[in-house]
Order: sequence, then structure tokens, then C-alpha cells
Amino acid sequence: MTDTNNTLLSVTDIHKSFGKLKALNGVDMEVEAGSITGLIGPNGSGKTTLFNVVTGFYKKDRGHGKILFQGTQIDGMDPSQIADEGIQRTFQISQATRKMTVMENLLLASKQQPGESIFNSFFRPRLLINTEQDQLRKAHEILETIQLEDLMDEFAGNLSGGQKKLLALGRMLMADPELMMLDEPTAGVNPTLTNDLLEIIQKLRQDTGKTYFLIEHSMKVISSLCDYVYVLDFGENLTAGTPEEVQSDEKVLEAYLTGQTS
Amino acid sequence: MGIVNYLAHIGIMIGIYGILSLTLNFQYGFTGLVNFGHVAFFALGAYGSTLLVMSGGTHFLVGLIGAFIIGGIFGLIISLPTGNLKEDYWAIATLAAAEIVRLFFVNEGWIYGGPYVAGPFGIRGIPSPWSNVIPTDVYIFFYLGLVAIFLLITYLFLNFLSNTPFGRVLKAIREGDDLPKALGKNVFSFKARSMGISGAFAGLAGGLFAHYVSFISPYNFQAIETFIVWAMVVVGGIGNNRGAIAGAAIVQLFYSSTRFLKDYVPIDSKTLASVRMIAIGLLIVLVMLFWQEGLIKEKKSEYKNKLKRVSHD
Repeated sequence: MTDTNNTLLSVTDIHKSFGKLKALNGVDMEVEAGSITGLIGPNGSGKTTLFNVVTGFYKKDRGHGKILFQGTQIDGMDPSQIADEGIQRTFQISQATRKMTVMENLLLASKQQPGESIFNSFFRPRLLINTEQDQLRKAHEILETIQLEDLMDEFAGNLSGGQKKLLALGRMLMADPELMMLDEPTAGVNPTLTNDLLEIIQKLRQDTGKTYFLIEHSMKVISSLCDYVYVLDFGENLTAGTPEEVQSDEKVLEAYLTGQTS
Repeated sequence: MGIVNYLAHIGIMIGIYGILSLTLNFQYGFTGLVNFGHVAFFALGAYGSTLLVMSGGTHFLVGLIGAFIIGGIFGLIISLPTGNLKEDYWAIATLAAAEIVRLFFVNEGWIYGGPYVAGPFGIRGIPSPWSNVIPTDVYIFFYLGLVAIFLLITYLFLNFLSNTPFGRVLKAIREGDDLPKALGKNVFSFKARSMGISGAFAGLAGGLFAHYVSFISPYNFQAIETFIVWAMVVVGGIGNNRGAIAGAAIVQLFYSSTRFLKDYVPIDSKTLASVRMIAIGLLIVLVMLFWQEGLIKEKKSEYKNKLKRVSHD
């Protein structure tokens, strides 16, 4: 990870404390454009906190560190601004709307939606209808990809845990960001669906060349998907490398064994 | 006053409260904003229109436009400091805001000059629009028609808006800020616009109310009014515009008809007034027990058929 021209996201010296608890203590990380980069570590090592800091849901501690995305400094921005810059994320606990259908979820995710302006709603109905139809077609294709086509009119809250994860992926594809950050995309998903999900991600990466940054506990997922893996422990970088390197690293084994069980 | 006139009166009250119920439903039913200070918009609209017409000497319609604008601006203002509050804190803040508005009108008598007017005395003699051209005996029906037109406009406007992509973002916000934020939606701005739009129409209801009853005082705008409107939304069906109107009708009919109970049951009218509130409370409990989603459920947006049409184009 030396070629800085190819770096999509760079995280430098990030600290985050909650009271006296130091959740992140000077974390550095780089995500290369077009890569699938993994982030692992025992429970409580700060993975999700890092995701929250990068996407603006948490503010990093002042005084040191910065986060660059495509050369733009994004720390300090609001989550919605960061999303507009081209980072989309999923949540560890699926955000599934109780009263919005699967299709509505996808339509919601589309960016540059002129119909979200009240003025356009009333005075430019043609524009509204045309974009809505385009979005509908695009959403339909995505639903086919993530195999939720039959459930398009089902409330998202009624989906199974695995289907919710697929829906989260679908929302991302709809928004079509540069960087997709997935927080435990396969947790709670049955093995068959996990395989499907992995296939989908791999295919998408080949087809679109998008960049993925994902938190995972399953080593199987990490080794079959990731090009490069970072390991966090107690809010600090423990090590980094290819999945093979990391898996054989004794420090990693030790962290997983001495820390809480995962 | 015959029975027909009385029915027309109830119709007018249903219309005015129907607008309030539609607007609260837009805030709570679609955007998830627990507004416990809805009566503030009603009060500001009523006073705004009254002062424009009586002190400013403007036409009734200008007064209504004023009520609309004042309600809208108040909606935007109230969402500025409170925009990032969580649901329950938002509720407390709006409750307080409504009390501030009411106490302002209790204490600031200068807004309308003269001895024993304004402040706690209220303002009387608010002119009825076009009362010089409409014969007195049919005036109430004319006003009923007027209120019905404004109710229809409010319904069409808010119903259309709740089905646009704008309304879709509101529905997402209703279920929490995190998802819309992660999808790049400026939640704060959407909440402010939702409050502004619905506040404007609620202000309009205030104007219609003032020119109908011709006397307003801070006493008309106590917190209990907010909760009556809440009862309407809950009974009618949260997140359904037709439900909001139906709820307004049911609660208003319930409220008005219990008035006649004093002829049949041996309770004095003072006690009966309290009993009426208990009855509305009971109505809410019954609805919560047997029709959790209210009388008319929220519509589900279905796309299967729309999609077929689109793909065959």
C-alpha cells in the first residue's frame, strides 16, 4: 500500500474516546481504489467505531489525525455530506424500515433525486415522473441481482436477517458510491445465502471496479474476498497484510485468544 | 338555532380540526416528529389573521395568507434549535414552545390596543368575511363551504406531497435518522421543511377558526387542544390522510354529541365537561386495544404493477 495515487481512503492517526475509554488510539489505514479491504479484530477492538468515525456518525477526537477521501478531508463533515462525497455504509444491526417496502428502500437510496425538492414536486412533474421511472428500472435490476425481486412490495422489516443484509447491499448499489463500507455483511446469514452474497460482491467488483471496505468475523469470508486485511486490537493497529499473512501471524492469534471470544 | 345549523356548526369544527389533524399527521404520521405543541400554530394563525384584519385593516383573505405564512415561519423556527433532538426531547421542547406562545398572548396586551382587550381578555368582534353580502340565515352554510374548500386544498396538497420522493424521505426519517443520513439525506432540512409546510396549513386553520368564532383569547389555545388533535390522529389512523380527517370527524362528533347528555343523565354541566374528556381518553384506549393502526390503515406503496407499466413502455 505505498502508491498514494491509488489510495481512495486514507485514515491517519485517528483517536476516539468515550469518556475514559479509548476506543481508537491512533489508527492508520489506507484503502486502495478497486480493492476489497478487510478489517478484523476481536470484539471491542474498535472496528465499528472506526466505521462510524469515517462515515461521520461519530466525531473523531480533536487535536490529531485526519481522514482523506479522494483527496478531500472528510472528518468534520456530517454523515449526509460524507455520503454525498461517495461513501456508503451498512450497519452492523440491519436498518430495516418497518413501514417501507423493499422497493421503497431502494428508491430512497438513489442519489440526485430531483423529486426530493418540494418545488420540483409541484412545478416539474415531468422531470419527477421520468427520474422515478428510471430509478424504478434500475432498482428492478438490482433486486434481480440480490434475489429479492419477489419481495419488492414486502415491508423491509418483515425480511429475514439475511435478506436484510442483502437489502442493505442493494441500497448501496442503488446509491452507487465510490466506496462501500460493509459492517459484518454475513453475520447471522445462513451459509447458502453467505455464498450467494460473496458471489454477488465478487461479481460486482469485477463488473464495476468499485471499492469495498468490510468488517468481518468470518475468516472464510475474509480469505475468499479480501486483497488486504487490517487487524485492530484495543483501538490500535495490530498488523496488516494479505489474508494468508494475517492468518498465520501469531500476534493475531494471540489477540483473538487472549481477548474476548469472538 | 335549528338542528341543521347545529350540524353545519359541527361540520365547520370538523373542517377546522380536520386541517389541524392532517397537519399533525404529516408531522407525526409521516415524519415521526412527536409534536406536543401543535396548538401554537393554531394560536399564531388565529392571532395573526385577527390582527392583520382588525389592526391592519386588510381583507380576510390577506389575513389567511398571513396566518399561513406565520404558521410556516414558526414551523421552520421551531425546528432550528430542536432539529437534532431525539423524539421525547423534541416532544418536551414543542410542548414548551406552545406554552410560550400562549403566555405571550396572555401577557402582551399591547398587540391590540384598548382597555380590557387582548391579553387575558382576548379579542372580540373579529369580523366574519363577506357577512355583508351573504344573508345571515345561510351564512353558516357559506362558511361551511369555505372551510370545506380549505380542508380539501390541505388534503390534496399534503396527500400529494406524502406520495412524492420527498414524502418517501420523510417516511424514512420516521423510522430513525441513521439510515437516511447514511444515504446522504440532510435529515435536519427535511424535518424543517416538514414542520414549515404543515405549520403553514395549521396556521390557516387558526385563521379560519378566529373569523368563525369571532372571539379569541389565550384560553382557546391551551395544551389540551393539542391532545385533542392527537386523539384525532390516533383514532383515525397514523400515517393516513383520509384517516386524519375521519379521526377529526369522530372525535368532534363524540365531543359535540356528549354535550346533549346533560338532558338525559343527572350530571351537572361542569362535571359533564370533564366526563367528556374522560370519554375521549376512553375512545383512545379502545382504539389502541382493538384497532392499533386506527380506523384507516396507512397505505402501502406497491410497485409491482407500476414496474410492469414502466418496463412495457
